[in-house]
Amino acid sequence: MTTDPQKLAAERAARYNAAVELKEPDRVPFTGLGGDVVGSYAGITSYEYCFDFEKSHQATLKYLKDFPSDQPLIPMTSVANTVSSLAFVDFPNVASLVSNIDGPTNDVLGVRYGRFPGRELGENSSPQFIGTDYMQPEEYDELIADPVKFCYEKMIPRTTRNLEDLGSPAALATMARLGLEKARQGAAMQKFMRELMELGFPLSGMSMFLAPIDFIGDFLRDIPNLIKDLRRRPDKVKAATEALLEPLLKLVLQGKKTGVEMSFIPLHFNEYLSPKLYQEFYWPTLKQGILSMLEEGMKSRVFFEGRHDPHLETILDLPAGWGIGFFEKTDIRRAKKMLEGHTCIMGGIDTGMVIGSNPAKLDEYIKELLGEMMPGGGFILSPNVSNMPRETPIENIRAVYEAVEKYGKY
Amino acid sequence: MTTNPQKLAAERAARIKAAYDLQEPDRVPFTGMGGDVVASFAGITGYQFNFDYELANQAVIKYLQEFSTADQPVGAGSAIVNNVTSLAFLDFPDLAAGLAIIDGPINDILGVEIARFPGRELPENSSSQFIGNAYMKPEEYDQLIADPLKFLYETVMTRSTRSLANLGSPASLAAMARYGMERAKKGIASQKFGQELQQLGYPGGARGMFIAPLDFIGDQLRDIPNLIKDLRRYPDKTKAAAKAMLEPLLRLALGAKNAGADLAFIPLHLNEYLSPKLYNEFYWPTLKEGILRMLQEGMKSQVFFEGRHDPHMETILELPAGWGAGYFEKTDVRKAKKLLQGHTCIIGGLDVGMVIASTPAKLDEYIKELLGEMMPGGGFILAPNVGNLPRETPIENIRAVYEAVEKYGKY
Amino acid sequence: MRKELLKSFVDMDEREAVRIAKELVETDGGPVAVLETCKEAMEEVGRLFEAGEYFLSELIAAGDIFNQIMAFTLPKLQQGDVSSIGTMVLGTVQGDVHNIGKDIFKVMAEASGVHVIDIGIDVPHEKFVEAIKEHQPDVVGMCCLITLGVDSMKQTVEVIKEAGLRDGIKIIIGGGRVSEAVMEHVGADAWADDAARGVRLTKELLG
Repeated sequence: MTTDPQKLAAERAARYNAAVELKEPDRVPFTGLGGDVVGSYAGITSYEYCFDFEKSHQATLKYLKDFPSDQPLIPMTSVANTVSSLAFVDFPNVASLVSNIDGPTNDVLGVRYGRFPGRELGENSSPQFIGTDYMQPEEYDELIADPVKFCYEKMIPRTTRNLEDLGSPAALATMARLGLEKARQGAAMQKFMRELMELGFPLSGMSMFLAPIDFIGDFLRDIPNLIKDLRRRPDKVKAATEALLEPLLKLVLQGKKTGVEMSFIPLHFNEYLSPKLYQEFYWPTLKQGILSMLEEGMKSRVFFEGRHDPHLETILDLPAGWGIGFFEKTDIRRAKKMLEGHTCIMGGIDTGMVIGSNPAKLDEYIKELLGEMMPGGGFILSPNVSNMPRETPIENIRAVYEAVEKYGKY
Repeated sequence: MTTNPQKLAAERAARIKAAYDLQEPDRVPFTGMGGDVVASFAGITGYQFNFDYELANQAVIKYLQEFSTADQPVGAGSAIVNNVTSLAFLDFPDLAAGLAIIDGPINDILGVEIARFPGRELPENSSSQFIGNAYMKPEEYDQLIADPLKFLYETVMTRSTRSLANLGSPASLAAMARYGMERAKKGIASQKFGQELQQLGYPGGARGMFIAPLDFIGDQLRDIPNLIKDLRRYPDKTKAAAKAMLEPLLRLALGAKNAGADLAFIPLHLNEYLSPKLYNEFYWPTLKEGILRMLQEGMKSQVFFEGRHDPHMETILELPAGWGAGYFEKTDVRKAKKLLQGHTCIIGGLDVGMVIASTPAKLDEYIKELLGEMMPGGGFILAPNVGNLPRETPIENIRAVYEAVEKYGKY
Repeated sequence: MRKELLKSFVDMDEREAVRIAKELVETDGGPVAVLETCKEAMEEVGRLFEAGEYFLSELIAAGDIFNQIMAFTLPKLQQGDVSSIGTMVLGTVQGDVHNIGKDIFKVMAEASGVHVIDIGIDVPHEKFVEAIKEHQPDVVGMCCLITLGVDSMKQTVEVIKEAGLRDGIKIIIGGGRVSEAVMEHVGADAWADDAARGVRLTKELLG
C-alpha cells in the first residue's frame, strides 16, 4: 500500500468505482465500520460527538488513522429534514442548509423530528428521527396541488418550533442564526476535508433522494397512518407520490451541480408492503426517480432497509450498471445470484456479529463471506447497519479490518 | 516609539484615553485619515474595497504599514448604517447590532434601498452612499409611537428592504439564512484582520452606536425635507415619535456593552438644519437624555456634529464635564475649544479639502499652526473633519500630515 | 395683501401664506403680484439664513411653500410675466447620488429669477458638456456632498475646458465639502457650502 495521500485516495476511489462498474478491483472495497463507536473510541460523549465539530472531527480522524477504509466516515450524525429542504427547493443554497439536522442546527431550528443526545436524550444516546402525523388525511389535495408550497406553509410551521410563525421576527432571526451556524460549520468542515485528504481519502459525497412514498410515510403521515391511507384513499396517495416526484428530483439534482455523482436513497416503507402494494404505490415513482437521475448522469446507492427479498426481482427492471443495492437483512448471497452483472451489491457484515462475537469467530465469518461474495466483482463490503454502538468491542472491529486485509485480495 | 505591538497598543490607547479624560498625553492623539484613498493606495477599486473582505483588509494593512503615526486603524470598506432592521430585531440581541451594518455583500443579499454601492448602483470607483427616502407616511406617526418595533418590522422594513418585502415568504426566510452565512464569513475575515491589526500595535475595542431619535426619523423614516415639514405640520407627533424611539435606540446602543464597549458613536445629521428653537424643542432633549443614560451605564459618547453646530454649541455645556468627545466638522474648533475646555474632549481640526487640494509645505504649516492652538491643555484629538479621503488624494499630502503630527505633536 | 403674504411666508406660516396667495392670485394683476412677493420672500429668507437667524430647515420649508404657491400661480402667468436674469445648468457630479443640497439651491435660485436646467445626480462629465452646448448657460453649477465629488468636479471642469467651452461660462461649485482650497483645486470661479450663499454668488456671477 502506498503512503502518498493523493495516490492512496486514487487507489481507494478506483477500488470503489470498479465495484460499482461490476468489475473486480485489486481488493474488495470496504466502507469501514463507523457510528457512535467513533466517539467512544476517542473518549468523548455522544453529546460531544453530535455537537462539537472540533471534537467529532478529531475523533473521526483518530479512528480513521487506526482503522483506514476505502471511504471516510461521516462525523456528527444528523437527522434528515427533507420536508424543509423541499420547501426551499427554489432556493438551492438554503435547501442544503436545512436538509440534514445536526445537533447545533437543531438547537437553532428546533426540528420536531430530531432527538439528540444531551438534549431530549441521554448524553451517550444516538440522534433519532421521530415522525408523527404532521399532515392530516384531508390535506392530500393541498399537497398534490402544490407540494412545495404545502411543505413550506403548512409543514414547516408544524415541524419546526422556531419557525412556527413564518412572518414573525423570531422566524427571520432563526434563519439568520441558521446561516451563521452553517457558515461556522462550513469553515470547520473545510478544515476536516483537508485533513481527510492528507490521510488519503477520496472525497466524493452523496446527495439524498427519497422514494416519494417514504417521504409521505416518514415526514408527513407516519407509517401506521399511511398504511390506513393506502386502503382508504389509494388514489390520493398515488397522486401524492406522483406530485412529489418532480420536486424531490429537483432537490437531489441540485447536488449534482456541486459535483456530486451519486445519490443515496434510504428506503424505509419497502419492507412493510406486499409485492402488490409495493408495485402499485412504491416502486413506480422510486424507479422513475432512479431512471431520471441516471439520465442526468447520477448513479444511485439504494439502502434496502429490512428484508427486501419479496421485491428483489423488481430491481431487474432497472438497466444493468444503474448503481448499488445496499442490503440490510436481505439474503445477499441470494441477491448476488439474482443481480450479478446487473447491480453492485453492498453490505454483508452483520453488525450484531461485530458487537456480540469475538475476533476469532469474526475472522472466520469474514473469510467465508468474502469467499462467497467476492468472485466476479461488483461487491462492496460494509456493515448492514451503519451505526456501531459505543460499546462495540474494539478488538472485534480490529478483527474485521484485519480480515479484510487478509482475505480481501483478488 | 516602541515596536512591541502590545506596548504600542497600550501607548496608543492611553493617548486617546488621556484626551477623553481632558488631560495632556505624551503626544497629540491622531485618528488617522482613511477612506477611499486606502483602496487606491493599494491599487484596488472601490468595488473591491467594499465587496472583497480579504482585499479590503489587506489594503488597510498596507496603508497602516506606510502610515503608522495614527493611534487608530483606518476602516476597511465603508458600510452603510441601517438601524431600521436592527430595531426590528431588537429582541434578538445576537443579531440586532450587526444588522445595522450594511456592507456590499450583505446588501447584495438584503437589498437595502437606502444603500448605494460601487460596482452595483454606482460606478466601480465610487464611494458607498446613503440615500434617504420617505418609507413612512405622515399619517403613520401614531403607529410608530404606539409600538415602534412592530411598526418598523412590519411596515418600514418591508418597504425599505427588497428581500424582506414579503415577510414570511420563502424568499424572506432564504434571505435571512444567506445573511447569516455572509455575516459569519465576514466574521471569520474580521477575526483574522483584528489579529493583524493587533500585530501592528493597534488597540482593539468595540464601540456602540446611538442615533439621535430625530435623526432616526429624518434619515431612515421620513427623509429630511419631509421631516422638516412634519415639524411644522405635526409638531406633537414628531416630538412623541422621538420620545418613543429613545428607549429602543438606547437598548440598541447599550447592547454593545456586552461586547465590552465603553464608548458610543453618535453621528448627528439634522443638527445643522435646525434653528436653536427647533433644535432645543425637538432634537436636543432626546439626544441629551440618550447621552446621559449611556453615561449612567458607564458608556461615554463621541458625538459627530455634522456641518456647522455653532448655533447650538452652548447646549453641550448642559452635559456633565468629561461626558465624552465632540467631533466637529465645520464648527470652528478653536471657538469650540474656548467654550468647552475642561468639559468636552474635542476631535477634528483637519480640513479634508485642504488635504485633497493643498501642498505638503502648506499642510506642514497648517498642522503646525493648528496643533499650536489646539494642543495646550489637552483634551484634543486630531482628526480629519470628514472621515473619507477620496481616491485621488495626493499621497504626498497625506504623508505631510502624518509627518507634521510627529514633528509638532509632542507635549 | 402682498404685505401679509410676505410676512406669513417669511414667518414660515405655511397655511396662512398659501391661503393669502390663493386669494391674491385671483385678483387683477394677482399672478404677477404673487410671483413677485414670493421671490421677495425667498430673498428675505436667504438673507435671514446668511445672517444666522434662519437655518436649513427654514430654507427647506420656504422652498416647499414657494413650490406649493407656484403650482397654482405659474399656470396663470402670461408669457413675459416671468423674467429671467440668466440661465444655469445644475447637476450633482458623477459618482455622487445625493440630491438634497442641489434641490434646496435650485428652488432658491429659481425664486431669484435664474432659469435653472437641472440635469440630475451622478451626472457624467460629458453630460455637462452636452448640456452646455444645448442650453448655452451663463453659469454652470456643480454639486457634491461626499469627498469623492471633489475630484469628480475637477475632472468635469477639465472636460469642459477640453471641449473649448470653459471661457464662455462661469462655474460655481457647491456642497458640504467645498471650500476656497477646493475651488482653486477644481478650477471653478466661486464656491458655496450653503444654498443662500450659492444663490447670492450666482447672481454676482450673472453680473
